[in-house]
Amino acid sequence: MKLYKVWTLLCCLLLASAFVVGCGSEEDDEHDEHDHGEAFDAGAMLDNFSNNVVLATYTDLDNKAGDLLAAVKALEADTSQANLEKAQQAWKATRTPWEQSEAFLFGPVDTQGLDPALDSWPVDHVNLQSVLDSNDALTVDFVSGLEDTQKGFHTIEFLLFRDGNQRKASDITDRELAYLVSTTENLKASTAQLRLAWAPEGENFSNTVAQAGTGSTVYPSQSAAVQEMVNGMIVIADEVANGKISDPYNESDTTLVESQFSFNSISDFQDNIRGIQNVYMGKFMTDGQGLNEFVNGKDAELDARFQQEVQAAIDAIGAIPDPFRDSITANRGAVQTAIDAVSKVQQTLEQDILPLVQSSEFN
Amino acid sequence: MRYFRKLFYLILLVSILLTACGSESPVVVDTPPVFSTSELSGGATTIFDASSHAFSIPAPNLSPAALEKHLDGDVEFEAVFVTAPAVVNPGLGPIYNNVSCINCHSRDGRGRPPGTDEGLVSLLFRLSLPKTEDAMDGKPPIPVPGFGTQLNNRAIINASPEGKVKIDYTEQTLTTEDGTRVHLRYPDYTFTETYQPLPEAVEVSPRVAPAVFGLGLLEAIPEDVILAYADETDANGDGISGKPNFVWDVVEQRYTLGRFGWKANQPTLLQQVAAAYNDDMGLTTSLFQTENSAGQPQLTAHSATPEVSDEILDVVTFYVQTLAVPARRNVDDPQVKQGEQLFAEAQCASCHVPTLRTGVLTGVPSVSNQTIHPYTDLLLHDMGPDLADNRPDFHASGTEWRTPPLWGIGLVKRVNGHTNFLHDGRARDLMEAILWHGGEAEASRQAVEQMSKVERDALIAFLESL
Repeated sequence: MKLYKVWTLLCCLLLASAFVVGCGSEEDDEHDEHDHGEAFDAGAMLDNFSNNVVLATYTDLDNKAGDLLAAVKALEADTSQANLEKAQQAWKATRTPWEQSEAFLFGPVDTQGLDPALDSWPVDHVNLQSVLDSNDALTVDFVSGLEDTQKGFHTIEFLLFRDGNQRKASDITDRELAYLVSTTENLKASTAQLRLAWAPEGENFSNTVAQAGTGSTVYPSQSAAVQEMVNGMIVIADEVANGKISDPYNESDTTLVESQFSFNSISDFQDNIRGIQNVYMGKFMTDGQGLNEFVNGKDAELDARFQQEVQAAIDAIGAIPDPFRDSITANRGAVQTAIDAVSKVQQTLEQDILPLVQSSEFN
Repeated sequence: MRYFRKLFYLILLVSILLTACGSESPVVVDTPPVFSTSELSGGATTIFDASSHAFSIPAPNLSPAALEKHLDGDVEFEAVFVTAPAVVNPGLGPIYNNVSCINCHSRDGRGRPPGTDEGLVSLLFRLSLPKTEDAMDGKPPIPVPGFGTQLNNRAIINASPEGKVKIDYTEQTLTTEDGTRVHLRYPDYTFTETYQPLPEAVEVSPRVAPAVFGLGLLEAIPEDVILAYADETDANGDGISGKPNFVWDVVEQRYTLGRFGWKANQPTLLQQVAAAYNDDMGLTTSLFQTENSAGQPQLTAHSATPEVSDEILDVVTFYVQTLAVPARRNVDDPQVKQGEQLFAEAQCASCHVPTLRTGVLTGVPSVSNQTIHPYTDLLLHDMGPDLADNRPDFHASGTEWRTPPLWGIGLVKRVNGHTNFLHDGRARDLMEAILWHGGEAEASRQAVEQMSKVERDALIAFLESL
């Protein structure tokens, strides 16, 4: 997890304060200087988070993956330019809930290896071409047995898009079509597995989170589960600010750009931050109790500021002229503004919201 | 929770001791206590985090420059390698076990054996031929022609994987003194689809990926501190020996103390990381310039320059040296305290040494001079025939294993979503792991078997607080 620059800063501040304080006061640590009022019952918030945000996002992802599968099958049956365009739109539509779900990359998506299965990068072009050039039957089983770097979103993207443009439908070979259908079947199987892992009729990880502190086998306290929520948001804010946008920007290297075949990068980044918004506001399809209510009860100013910062980050990313790969050199000011806006979100999460959670009493 | 205040006061306390008031020497613990109730498992590298990120956080005492280096290493630890030629991360294979560090060490945590219908992800198999003269000659294992010292079960297209492994478990029931029945599963491994026959006499050692946090602290423990715990001939007659492994250091070009790996067969984290790139991913470095597939038909081209640069090797090594150790939880809980007492009384702490003091690790001040609670002595112990891999490794016999650290063990479920323990993940929870202990730990296991349910629950509560 590449983040937590704030820890260093924090420790420097604490060290500095220690010097100021000087000798003698090291033993009064039982004194509670932070009075955050009575314990907060996070039960409703965690229930809403797991069911109405996480499970709802994964359900949407699985539905969209079903649409994508239908679209690539239609493309295989009739390889027209119109059908190619529909498949491309379906890919982008599936990408949206996935990128939003990156604000909670913990639990089954990680422990069942689904993140690499769905979203490995880079694509192994040499292996992919070898398979396409071979005589192997491109069945679902065969393609599912290949490496993650030859499957998932970016392999499908590579087969559907080139350099941000539509491929010519007539350029797509029969082997590519067969591969496309099989690898999309595999993607759909992964999204179904992910949805089921959180669903009541499946492994019900939603319940594991919602029952934190009251019988959950993973989260012995509500505090632990709320920390999980906040850390999930920190991870993606850090990833967007210091990885996804900064790496290609700092190196001026377009090969490092995410979703580089479709030029979908700006939507990807915005959806990542929308995922933070969803978790914080407790809202996906429906609006329920989010972290905002907890934060507001402790510090209304912080809540208002953070909501504004999240929206500002989404807007700043949206203000980068498309395609992102050109803007890393041509519009560096806009890119830097977006980095700063996302960094602000990360900073508030790390320096204000996580400490607030960690210092609060929960039921 | 008041984690931040506790961190604040820790730093306050240390700074006061280090600066104006009185002593100029740092906090020194002359005689480590038998056990400690301290939450600060990793000294000043301890992090307070109760989420699934608990193993993935940089040590909080890194300088800004060191943090930058750590974060660079983090990116490389997650880097996915692909078949050459490629623009990004080329050089994978041609035979390998996985495509990135993080894929085995998921969330910097502990791997597990595959479930039904899953392929091998974070479990691998070491192979060797038996030694004809002296099995305990202190030398490295003998490679198997055509396979080397590790089964690479994956390969790039047009190259043959070395084989697959089928795992079967046989259940056995063990009944403790108070009549509680515990089920243990005995693994049995069958190699299938090998690209050429494996010799009948092959020695096999299964290994799950260990967690990678806190490792710089273990590297910083002075050699004489570790050797002071060694008692190879059991001179004190407690039934527990403790033997150092001495293994080949490719940088120093001599035998040095082994610290890392399930049999302590790697002397440094640099060599551990380079060996993992080489053995697990088929990537060469300046330390191991020969492909893991050398001499085998899978290798058709060899890169003249190392596939992983010294710079990357350096930042990844630094990354695993500087991951924070998660703090203990519930240390004041009476049940946890009782369990801690029972842990000591059953002599568990004789090998799982609670408290050690680090020395200086050059270039890594954050892990230097720390009082830590790793619950290991980094020494080899005979664990009995049931756990034996029967594959000697330098000075480690076929029944000996290195005491694994226990810090963070109570968070594995949250971080990695499972509770599979021991070298091959056969134990499905902590109690099973305890009941597999034999050999030098025979008496300790029996002590646990004789405990009441209340006592065993307390023991587990203690372990889960780590």
